[in-house]
Amino acid sequence: MQQAATLDTPRDTGLGTVQGRMGARRKKLREALSAYGFLAPYLLILGTFTLIATGYAFYLSFFFVDFGFGEPIFYGFKNYQHIWFDLTHNGDFAVGLKNILFYTVGVVTMQTILALGLALLLNQKVRGRGIFRTAFYLPSLTSSVAISLIFIWLYNTHGALNYLLSLVGIPGRAWLFDPTTSLPAIMLLNIWTTAPTFMLLYLAALQDIPDQLVEAARVDGANSWRVLWHITLPLLRPTTFLVTALGTIGSFQLFDQVYIMEGAEGGPIRSTITPVLQIYNTAFKDSLMGRACAEAVVLFVVIFLFTLLQRRFIDTSIQY
Amino acid sequence: MAAISQPATKALPKTFSEVVHDVPPRERARQTILYVILIFYTLFSLGPFLFAFISSFKTYADVLTPSFVPHPFTLENYQAIFTGTYSNFFADYFRNSLLYAGGVAALNVLLASMAGYAFGRMEFPGKTFLFILTLAVLMIPTQLILIPKFLVANSLGLTDNPLALLVPAMVTPTNVFLMTQFLKSLPKELEESAMIDGCSRFRIFWQIILPLARPAMTAVALFSFQGAWNDFIWPLIVQSHPQNYTLTVGLAFFKGNHYTEYNLLLAGAAINILPLVVLFFIFQRYFIKGIATSGLAGR
Repeated sequence: MQQAATLDTPRDTGLGTVQGRMGARRKKLREALSAYGFLAPYLLILGTFTLIATGYAFYLSFFFVDFGFGEPIFYGFKNYQHIWFDLTHNGDFAVGLKNILFYTVGVVTMQTILALGLALLLNQKVRGRGIFRTAFYLPSLTSSVAISLIFIWLYNTHGALNYLLSLVGIPGRAWLFDPTTSLPAIMLLNIWTTAPTFMLLYLAALQDIPDQLVEAARVDGANSWRVLWHITLPLLRPTTFLVTALGTIGSFQLFDQVYIMEGAEGGPIRSTITPVLQIYNTAFKDSLMGRACAEAVVLFVVIFLFTLLQRRFIDTSIQY
Repeated sequence: MAAISQPATKALPKTFSEVVHDVPPRERARQTILYVILIFYTLFSLGPFLFAFISSFKTYADVLTPSFVPHPFTLENYQAIFTGTYSNFFADYFRNSLLYAGGVAALNVLLASMAGYAFGRMEFPGKTFLFILTLAVLMIPTQLILIPKFLVANSLGLTDNPLALLVPAMVTPTNVFLMTQFLKSLPKELEESAMIDGCSRFRIFWQIILPLARPAMTAVALFSFQGAWNDFIWPLIVQSHPQNYTLTVGLAFFKGNHYTEYNLLLAGAAINILPLVVLFFIFQRYFIKGIATSGLAGR
């Protein structure tokens, strides 16, 4: 109730009467105090669970922490050496990184194209646009757990997907138990669930594009494709950067769907193991918190580099 | 017949077929293709949900048959969850999820509005730094800090009780950002006269600003509710007793015990999905506007 105290002070003094005598500096101080009063709960939570926790992650990555069994022991670079060994000997973390790179490139590319495509369709003169938009959005609304449960059933050997494929003469398979299809099956599911959110972002950006620009191009004789390619897409670049950056950060953190559909081991034969799954296993199965933090730091660096790389490829500046 | 009905239809908004027949053939072909794609994607998007929902009324023997009519139709799957063998567990899961999602929604509405008010409408030293920090934090992958966050929560005694879920999520940078953007857009004059009358900042916030911020507050409440309702990994790691599990964690363990009983799994998925769908239909426009401005639904 820190903020109640700071907020009460100015009222006690009586802002109206003292205002004339009060110096500009005191007024500023009072304003700052009440501002920090408003911010206090937020800064407290942000500080504790995000900033301290982030620093703590880096710090602990240099320690041996056997959770629940005594104090952390300084470990130097040993955690990182373990990860290096894992990476150079095709360990679980290495396989997880390989899987997640494949997954992220596939999912981000496909979901961005799909989101853009759907937004362009809905940006046309469409009757019932609101209904379509709602229908498209539903997969983004629901929980990863519920969707995973539904897809376990759809992907089953005797499930709906194999039935549909059998109608067109394609032989079915056990999608989630075959190491060649397990990861793509989860990719498909996540493209389907994430694309609609990004579709809404694209739709909002499309509605911000000034009509005169498109009309001017039309008057100059440009057809729809040329308008799309030379006007619309360049204007959407900032949105595309946002969509790919958010998509990348989200994709790299894949956990829920794999945990539910394939279990914490990321089976079959490690085909769906992910870095976050591995971090979870290191921390809560092997009870090695320090090493788990080091793995998280490595994952963070990979995500960071990946996002920088994207920034180089997607020019976000708009030229009118 | 046609001649008689003509004047009446003229006044009415055009029907779908009229619109189609008004346009030149090339345009008509384009329109047809457009609607075919849209309807196809609607089926792709809704199909799994509808089929899963229908199949949640099927028996174990019937749940894998590709038919749209449960044969026989049964409520047993839901009865098992609500009144039968598992009802004790599910009552706890449901209560915990509601408490988590409802609590996080209420706290974020209040605390993010307060922070957003300071960032959006007040001047103070350190403002730019703190706001940039808020934006930067949005880019930190949540899983990076999962383990230390757990250790911090643990050292504060925040594990294996309902507060473990509520406290770390009670005000998030995303919501602060959303509220800041909204409150900044309200006219500056709102405060000026009240300030001259000697109102405190707190009274201005409470009596003048908050009532105007309802649309943004609704969006914050909805996203927070959605994020907490769907959250899986945090409740999974901080709660170790079934009476503290949320619905998502409960369903994950339920799945572990009933791996091939799809009829039960589908009923479980339905009770997780339906409350959100109802909420979404009531507050659709807030959801959609909020995502368009922040792009960070349910985080």
